[in-house]
Amino acid sequence: MNATWYYFERDLVKWIRGKVTVFSHLVTPAAWLIFVGLTLPVTFTDNYLEYLTPGIMVMSVLFAALQSGNLVIFDKVLGFLNKFFAMPPPRESYLFGTILFITFRGMIQATVIFCVAVLLGITIYSLKSVLLTYVVLFLFGILFASIATTIALAVDDHDGYAAINSMISMPLFFTSTALMPYDKMPDWLQMVASVNPVSYAIDNARALLSGSDPVIGEIVMLAVGAVIVLTICSYLFRRATL
Amino acid sequence: MIEVNDLTKYFGNLCAVDHVSLHVENGIFGLLGPNGAGKSTIVRILSTLLKPTGGNATICGYDLAREPKKVREVISYVPQEMALDIKLTGRENALLYAKLYGIADRSRKVDEVLELMELTARSDDLVRTYSGGMRRRLELAQALVHEPEVLFLDEPTLGLDVAARTKIWRHILSLQEQGIVIFMTTHYMEEADEYCDTVAIIDHGRIVALDTPERLKSEMEGEKTSLNDVFIDRVTTPEEESVFDGYKFRTMLRRRR
Ligand SMILES: Nc1ncnc2c1ncn2[C@@H]1O[C@H](COP(=O)(O)OP(=O)(O)O)[C@@H](O)[C@H]1O
Ligand SMILES: [Mg+2]
Repeated sequence: MNATWYYFERDLVKWIRGKVTVFSHLVTPAAWLIFVGLTLPVTFTDNYLEYLTPGIMVMSVLFAALQSGNLVIFDKVLGFLNKFFAMPPPRESYLFGTILFITFRGMIQATVIFCVAVLLGITIYSLKSVLLTYVVLFLFGILFASIATTIALAVDDHDGYAAINSMISMPLFFTSTALMPYDKMPDWLQMVASVNPVSYAIDNARALLSGSDPVIGEIVMLAVGAVIVLTICSYLFRRATL
Repeated sequence: MIEVNDLTKYFGNLCAVDHVSLHVENGIFGLLGPNGAGKSTIVRILSTLLKPTGGNATICGYDLAREPKKVREVISYVPQEMALDIKLTGRENALLYAKLYGIADRSRKVDEVLELMELTARSDDLVRTYSGGMRRRLELAQALVHEPEVLFLDEPTLGLDVAARTKIWRHILSLQEQGIVIFMTTHYMEEADEYCDTVAIIDHGRIVALDTPERLKSEMEGEKTSLNDVFIDRVTTPEEESVFDGYKFRTMLRRRR
């Protein structure tokens, strides 16, 4: 258990030391929010920024998670995993530490977006709704961080990983409720969006941040999904030859 | 200390390790062989990273297959490729290992191993600024934080200049004097000749010679034999089997650009 924390700490310190990366990780999502939220002509709501903020928060967790499979690829290709796995802590502690870091970093990015949105004037309904939003983001982050690390374990190089990443991240985002609600979508999109875990996270974040009740069924689905993928990923990690 | 029985490893149809049996009690044991002979594979099996296809081994009495965690507690493994976090300082790199090994008094221990590897003066600089030799010594420092009984070193001097190599060897010798069993691979014959107590020459995964460097040399005909002569005599394959493919090399370079 301690080892999980040490691996987390290692990733965190390495991230913070790369100042340019930190800057771009924090500014890019905020830029998305400002450019899309304030410029798109939208008719289904009179406060598109408030509508969009939860979507962009979830998006930044999604993109951050999927991109972070690179951490595992680096550690694998450069031989770190060889050294780590010849030490007493179980292999899962590396996995959990990395997944926690990936999720944590995504949540920091989401927080930056949230702060920018508050500065731009969205309403905060209650502290409880904000905290619950973070629970949803956490579950969602764990789910996609697990997916990313599983893919990273299977792929051997950065290019291959980047290809897979771009193949799944954009479609996941655009077939979700990030940019428009279900009833504004064409039928086929509605169907896809309603089984897209990205929509589950966004629906809940949006409900919570606008002061309504969360969709419990979708939260349960996210949690169950996260547990399943994490279990598969641990199993693969335990058996992997590097 | 290290007992290897009939160890065999297949990668698909390729037999990388072919019924290898060894026994190492103390001192510095050198595994020699051409590229692709199976040296790294053996070391990776013994440090619990790979499961053998057949055979078994015990290290300090612990069975590799049944008690891998116990094995990990008494060994250290320094792989061929250097893996250090260049954005962390030397001390932070060593501290991570002390934490992962669960060392109680870890900052004192880290100071001690850094001192031992003559890195104290630079310990708070980022590893990015370290030379190759310093990086190798830092890896040795990491490997020593939990006072292992067996140290596996895969090509520890590969790619270092002569001065750095001599320095690494001085450190390896002093570790051996402290009673740590060293199991290492190399393809520098002169080094093995000078520093190893026992050597095994392997070729195509099979042991073709196993003895002290002196005895191996004395078995050879002729006046002044070196371990190199023994090596060339016993190893059937040339270092590189394929001829240099100039066309392929140029297209590869062009794609890099
Ligand atoms: N993970 C692997 N999958 C398939 N083949 C491998 C793998 N690792 C090593 N080999 C093959 O096994 C043989 C021995 O490799 P290795 O132990 O690295 O040799 P050495 O360290 O002596 O240069 C080589 O032919 C190599 O290509
Ligand atoms: Mg090798």
